[in-house]
Amino acid sequence: MQIRVLFFGLTADISGNRQIEMELTEQRKAKYIFDQLLLEHPKFASHQLLFSVNEQYATGEEILEDGDELAIFTAVSGG
Amino acid sequence: MDFFELTTEPIDITSVSRRVVPPECGATVTLDGYARKFTKQKDDTTRETLYLVYEAYEEMALKEMQKLIAQARQEFEISNVGIVHRTGRLEIGETSVVISVSAPHRKAAFAACEWLIRELKRTVPIWKKEVYADNEKWIEGEI
Repeated sequence: MQIRVLFFGLTADISGNRQIEMELTEQRKAKYIFDQLLLEHPKFASHQLLFSVNEQYATGEEILEDGDELAIFTAVSGG
Repeated sequence: MDFFELTTEPIDITSVSRRVVPPECGATVTLDGYARKFTKQKDDTTRETLYLVYEAYEEMALKEMQKLIAQARQEFEISNVGIVHRTGRLEIGETSVVISVSAPHRKAAFAACEWLIRELKRTVPIWKKEVYADNEKWIEGEI
């Protein structure tokens, strides 16, 4: 099962990516991926982060399915 | 007709404002948000911005804008809402966001417009980078 993770703004700068694909061998909650990313990028920890699954704000409890699109980003600052 | 859009082109405020006008309305309130040069920091110093860069999670931003409009319609006696947000590089003074709200009476339009910009800054996935002479910084909102 494959999912995609998007990064924007500061999280794109920190991770050095705008988009990555991740392979999952078993069923996981979105939180599993978000935790992995936090481990991989310790600099994320000093920011207030928001998460989404399939273009909706996520709690982390969402069960992931093949083709899901996740995103991790800092508190928004449009306007 | 409501509308919500992202664009990399300069925004024509008047055309956004006039697009929301139906016959039953008597007033439109339009917010013209634009790029600020001098920003006061938490330590009371002032930063001078050269230009801004806005980035959006486009598909999600449009969905969130649509949700805000639906909510605003439930809470306020308004007729139409138009929201246009610019992305990419903006020079100082250029318009970054326009929100136009038409209503039979102005009071509801003012209240809804203020509510919409406050919620947009909180929920719509768009980020602003301030670029200074010697540095640059992604601005982080408050959760």
